[in-house]
Amino acid sequence: MEGKSEELEGEMEVEAYRRLFPLQFYERHLSDSVRPDARPLNKARPTSIVPAPLPSADASAMVKIGNTTMLSGIKLEIMFPSSDSPDEGCIAIDFHMPPICSPMVRPGRPAEAAPVISQQLNNVIMSSKLIDLKELSIASGKAAWMVYLEIYCLDADGALFDAALLSAVAAIAHLEIPPVCLNEEGRVVSSQGQAETNTDNNGNTNNSNTEKRKLTLGSIPFSLTCLLHKQYLLVDPTDEEESIMPSLLTVVLDTSGHLISLYKPGGPVLAYTSTTKNCVALATRRVKELEKILKEALSEMDVIEN
Amino acid sequence: MASKSGTISTYSPLFSRKNPNFTNGVRSDGRHFHECRLAFLRTGAVNAASGSAYAEFGNTKVIVSVFGPRESKKAMMYSDTGRLNCSVSFTTFSTPIRGQGSEHKEFSSMLHKALEGAIMLETFPKTTVDVFALVLESGGSELPVIISCASLALADAGIAMFDLVTSVSVSCFKDDLVIDPVFEEESCQDGSLMIVCMPLRNEVTQLTVTGEWSTPKVHEAMDLCLGACSKLGDIMRLCLKEAASTLQ
Repeated sequence: MEGKSEELEGEMEVEAYRRLFPLQFYERHLSDSVRPDARPLNKARPTSIVPAPLPSADASAMVKIGNTTMLSGIKLEIMFPSSDSPDEGCIAIDFHMPPICSPMVRPGRPAEAAPVISQQLNNVIMSSKLIDLKELSIASGKAAWMVYLEIYCLDADGALFDAALLSAVAAIAHLEIPPVCLNEEGRVVSSQGQAETNTDNNGNTNNSNTEKRKLTLGSIPFSLTCLLHKQYLLVDPTDEEESIMPSLLTVVLDTSGHLISLYKPGGPVLAYTSTTKNCVALATRRVKELEKILKEALSEMDVIEN
Repeated sequence: MASKSGTISTYSPLFSRKNPNFTNGVRSDGRHFHECRLAFLRTGAVNAASGSAYAEFGNTKVIVSVFGPRESKKAMMYSDTGRLNCSVSFTTFSTPIRGQGSEHKEFSSMLHKALEGAIMLETFPKTTVDVFALVLESGGSELPVIISCASLALADAGIAMFDLVTSVSVSCFKDDLVIDPVFEEESCQDGSLMIVCMPLRNEVTQLTVTGEWSTPKVHEAMDLCLGACSKLGDIMRLCLKEAASTLQ
């Protein structure tokens, strides 16, 4: 096989060679320390955050890393807190890959990757203490906020977890809790714009606030996925790269440099300690980049609102 | 956590809903009765697809991806003509109250029926073209937007069609006809009419009329829709031309 491909190389068009011998095609690039999309091995694709694209959701964000596009939206609902944590709300995170995002996904046959990423997002966001669930309480033991955070992949082109986490974090950072109060039947109603009439009509408006409030965020988690192949380490892989060279390693760090998660879902390439260290070092650099991008997007959001 | 949340029953806090009011022939969003929302169309929204389009009409935002022509499902019988497969889904946060998008189960088959007459199925025998739509935000008149956006995506994918397919709907309030209604208007309309047509050929592929209508009103509404459809067709053609010229 190897010898045959060498023979054919001279007379074959580049695109045909890429399709027929994808691994050889990549290895020839990698030996020159460059990727087919002209990126150096350790450079992530251009990343952007579109602030609040959906006005009808309570918060939303769209993230693009190269062609990979994620849209996250938050809907707030009211729940009755459980008896063991009466003054805590809840957050439910779900990741979807609708059939529009990739030719591999068909309706009725959900993508295998989706529940895995869903679980990873849950683990990272819960263990990073990004949100204090106590802040979601409305009235202790009576009502609390349930945050439904849903992330949709609109275009799948590799490094799905990185993009999903960034869009989830951007939506949470933008979330504003609307003012509400408990009415006489113990139901929660909006007190926006009718704050005065509410306080006049029912005297027992406990914990009613009349202004939107933002959540105080803990340290924000950011992630970087690296692809391992032989001695090479490719940062932020595309879908094509992931399908040809399937060993991935995802590092999640927070802004103060704490390691939140390290995820290597098997694969034929084993990671040496030194490789893992390299990945963490690359992730540390990437976190600085992402932190800056998120900060800029959030200030842009504030400008739009005011 | 996900399994835990599945068992918790939640409800949306009651936010005051605005009813549409028509004062001096002006609607709540400042439009006149016979004025459509501003439209933004763009092809090539999804790189992984053979063709795709994004459409934004006011707050209604839709992405359509087209895959294929590709191998039909194994279980499918041999067919001389191509197959068209359509699926419409909503994001859970698209509707004002979470998760209401799943109520529109009929949209997939409506989209299929609206498009099949316009596509030259005999040009791709034995294979299937998949048209998948995702509604990112529903601000009213979703189905007409999905259909128009789907035909734009089909054109972007290079699927042969007799003409672009465009669609516009009208809501009826007693004596008033309101074109391209928003969510609030649709929820308290007396009747609605939707036309799907191929404007250059002057052919209608789908027409739905619901609610209370008088004959002259139906005629008036159809003329209104057809006029808007042909204008929308011009805009879509312009969008395709622009996309083609930037490629060169």
